[in-house]
Amino acid sequence: MLVYFPYDYIYPEQYSYMQELKRTLDAKGHGVLEMPSGTGKTISLLSLIVAYQRAYPLEVTKLIYCSRTVPEIEKVVEELRKLMEFYAKETGETNKLLALALSSRKNLCVHPEVSSLRFGKEVDGKCHSLTASYIRAQRHSNPSQPICHFFEILHANIVVYSYHYLLDPKIADLVSKELAKKSVVVFDEAHNIDNVCIDSMSVNLTRRTLDRSQANVETLQNTIQRIKEIDAAKLKEEYRRLVEGLKEANVARETDIYLSNPVLPDEILQEAVPGSIRTAEHFVGFMKRLLEYLKSRLRVQHVVQESSPQFLKDIYEKVCIDRKPLRFCAERLRSLLRTLEITDIADFSPITLISHFATLVSTYSKGFTIIIEPFEDKTPTIANPVLHFSCMDPSIAIKPVFERFQSVIITSGTLSPLDIYPRILDFRPVTMSSFTMTLARTCLCPLIVGRGNDQVAISSKFETREDFAVIRNYGNLLLELSGIVPDGIVAFFTSYIYMENIVASWYEQGILENIQRNKLIFIETPDAAETSMALEKYQEACENGRGAILLSVARGKVSEGIDFVHHYGRAVIMFGVPYVYTQSRILKARLEYLRDQFQIRENDFLTFDAMRHAAQCVGRAIRGKTDYGLMIFADKRYARADKRGKLPRWIQEHISDGSLNLTIDETVQLSKHFLRQMAQPFRREDQLGLSLLTLDQLQSEETLQRIAQIAQQV
Amino acid sequence: MDEEPERTKRWEGGYERTWEVLKEDESGSLKATVEDILFKDKRKRVFENYGQVRLGMMRHLFVVIDTSRTMEDQDLKPNRLTSTLKLMEYFVDEYFDQNPISQIGIIITKNKRAEKLTDLAGNPQKHISALKKAVDTTCAGEPSLYNSLNLAMHTLKHMPGHTSREVLVIFSSLTTCDPSNIYDLIKTLKGLKIRVSVIGLSAEVRVCTILTRETGGTYHVILDETHFRELLTFHVKPPPASSSSECSLIRMGFPQHAIASVSDQDSKPSFSMSHLDNSSGPGLTLGGYYCPQCRAKYTELPVECKVCGLTLVSAPHLARSFHHLFPMDAFQEMPLEEFEGERFCEACQGELKDKSVFICSVCSSAFCVECDLFIHDTLHCCPSCIHSQSTS
Repeated sequence: MLVYFPYDYIYPEQYSYMQELKRTLDAKGHGVLEMPSGTGKTISLLSLIVAYQRAYPLEVTKLIYCSRTVPEIEKVVEELRKLMEFYAKETGETNKLLALALSSRKNLCVHPEVSSLRFGKEVDGKCHSLTASYIRAQRHSNPSQPICHFFEILHANIVVYSYHYLLDPKIADLVSKELAKKSVVVFDEAHNIDNVCIDSMSVNLTRRTLDRSQANVETLQNTIQRIKEIDAAKLKEEYRRLVEGLKEANVARETDIYLSNPVLPDEILQEAVPGSIRTAEHFVGFMKRLLEYLKSRLRVQHVVQESSPQFLKDIYEKVCIDRKPLRFCAERLRSLLRTLEITDIADFSPITLISHFATLVSTYSKGFTIIIEPFEDKTPTIANPVLHFSCMDPSIAIKPVFERFQSVIITSGTLSPLDIYPRILDFRPVTMSSFTMTLARTCLCPLIVGRGNDQVAISSKFETREDFAVIRNYGNLLLELSGIVPDGIVAFFTSYIYMENIVASWYEQGILENIQRNKLIFIETPDAAETSMALEKYQEACENGRGAILLSVARGKVSEGIDFVHHYGRAVIMFGVPYVYTQSRILKARLEYLRDQFQIRENDFLTFDAMRHAAQCVGRAIRGKTDYGLMIFADKRYARADKRGKLPRWIQEHISDGSLNLTIDETVQLSKHFLRQMAQPFRREDQLGLSLLTLDQLQSEETLQRIAQIAQQV
Repeated sequence: MDEEPERTKRWEGGYERTWEVLKEDESGSLKATVEDILFKDKRKRVFENYGQVRLGMMRHLFVVIDTSRTMEDQDLKPNRLTSTLKLMEYFVDEYFDQNPISQIGIIITKNKRAEKLTDLAGNPQKHISALKKAVDTTCAGEPSLYNSLNLAMHTLKHMPGHTSREVLVIFSSLTTCDPSNIYDLIKTLKGLKIRVSVIGLSAEVRVCTILTRETGGTYHVILDETHFRELLTFHVKPPPASSSSECSLIRMGFPQHAIASVSDQDSKPSFSMSHLDNSSGPGLTLGGYYCPQCRAKYTELPVECKVCGLTLVSAPHLARSFHHLFPMDAFQEMPLEEFEGERFCEACQGELKDKSVFICSVCSSAFCVECDLFIHDTLHCCPSCIHSQSTS
């Protein structure tokens, strides 16, 4: 197979990655691939799959590339454009591939009127009013009306969009259900995919949501009343359709046109909508009762946790709502909104949320739990009741994807340990590989600091986190490093509260003042606007040679989406092991579920989760082969084999026994040395043959042998 | 090399992991490779500098020395400041040895300010004594790259176009405290064709990378003291003159040294013009150099005549700068296995042990790396070529 690769040189690991990828596609199976960030995952994926599409047009018809954030999607599109240009140049033919990137309407809409709106929801609403199906139908008759390209998804060969379009049942239904079976689905940056799945299936209801749904219901009622006066036939027509049931949908699914929607279980399709909610008025009444019930449930004084069957039984006893109408709730509401021709969907999001909740709770008896908390743990005096309907099984959301599509590739820079993903997502991959980075120089320097200069062990574990000596040693570490690391340092704490405590304590001890003599300090807060402001100023300070430290939180916005290229992050410090807050009831329920269903021990999962976040944070600093950075793990516990072993292989292989359990001054010495080594001039020629390959080198026997060692099968 | 006695005691040295140097892995990703790169770099320098390029013979160089708090760091012995100043003395000597008709000035920066230690001048003694005095300065506060560059720029921009305008920054700190946006200043510097090079003493700082890249200078970070000295030596050589710099004929005077002894009745002691402004210098002397145009007396050359503005040099000075104009061709590198002939270096007579030998393209004699560097850096002519010339 001939693969066109749009660059002059290729990294050995990219070659190896493509080989593994091809194996997966050949086997028509799923794959889990880990390759360090900055080594060109995206282009390897794109060039191989496009080549595959050209070589076997019948085997693979479509590439669906899911990424996480808008900038990442933009990067993919950029690479794709390069590839297409290269194709055009090499083959001389204009390419027949149609690629499409989707994002929210806010980012993409080209309609001059709509794109001037500022808030996502407004844009959505306006767009819907222009492109809703009945308006599009009009357009067929009247071609002068402009057509929105958003709806051309069916014809594209390559689709790039966000996870949610595929995983979130509410959106997937609209966007992705008509995608062909012979597609290759790629989830990039997929280390958090289980959480995305869970989020997409979970519902949180607050009192506010309920109040607003109440208002929604009233609007609905009024609209129905009005329509009835004007056009009663319409409602009748709807009634007739509902009697016939959702047969159409069923036929469609059986003929394999649609991606199945987990919110719409199979059984529903075979039945008609139950009589009790068939007429619009009855349905509205039904919703009212449901709302009242939920409100009464939220008036609790203590925490309640129950399973879905318990909830159903209770609702039946209290307000006589049966399980069956509940299951049709979401579908019925959609139908009603369609019939009433309500264009401003955005206003009805609360009631839609409730209907989804009703459907989910009555459909799944397993894998979900309901927790009602009368107040937040932090503020036990303020009543703020929340009903969490939380999904504990990520495989529910992703199951249709695995079942429907021929190949699903899960890839990221940090997926270690690889074997846990198939287990929690419940699928069977044909390839699982981890690749290392080939380097002409050791450009990453992971160090595990276990002790202060006073030999006191440093750790963020619960018993010692308030310890004065630990906090002081953390401060000293940051102080010392601020004096030797140029430009930017990013420090990650395990949580906002912990960060606040430590920073306050540093302030009292005067450590903060000393640090500020070396560098400016910026702090991430839960507020997005404040954080992006801090981030901007941080980058400016790095750029101007002032030097800066960014204090942020693992699992925060900074740790997930922001890259600290070159001087923006010469060192990353991880203060403590970022365990998730274990006292949360939702987490406890999930851990229990994992233990019972998948035989994953609680501790294993927690460590896995903590380490993947640590790796994520630390990986922010290295975004390519010319980049370099220190990775400092400031916790004694990182030295243990069970933690270290869960780091990605490309980090692990640079941790020698000599860099474990260091004291602060040893760390400083090593870092100083490392930074000087790395500051030596480094040119492209030095990389050639080692970490950059030309076509000739690629064909040599010796190189191929070396490449074979890069991939590690699991 | 006098490297051995300079070595510090083991316990004074940094935390080293000497065992790691010995390890070698197939992917080549180890410290050994970094040293390999450095070696290549050494050779590269010879190559780069010895093409047929025009080099600026008259240089105006400002050296900015960071004397901020970080200079008290003891990773260079006894501390960064002392070590730097010592090396600077050596640098000033070498600089005037290689560029006799050039000038140098020294700026120090601390406490967010910059001040001139010495003005642009061609007298090495003056600079060296100033450097010696500077050892006692206290290092405090932060340096200001902006202020020092600004100060240098204000003097350099009045220098004539046929000379080079350069700034060399010895930068120890990792931060700079600037009164306004340094990127504007970099643009101005670029416009004025001032070339800024930086030698970092601790690590790579972004703003310096940009500064040097934009102005066409070089940026290096030292590994240790020997490397520091090497990097300074690198700056002794004049940089290639940019093609856009104007060419002009320069009037130069070659004054005769009039020697007079005390016993001579005709001779009268007189003041040297160069010492008029500073009272500390020696006052009356007997002999000296007399400007051929205005008969002003100077005790040292090269100098610009204070009266008529003529550049006064002596013939040997020009001769010493001469090799910059006709540099020696680089020797050809050849793997040792392919080399036929006796495996002795033509220069040092040592056995050729390295993996490559270097062949002179004219007389095709072989040399080892060290001699190759020595010949190109210091001798500027191939010994065996000269040998054959004299015999024929």
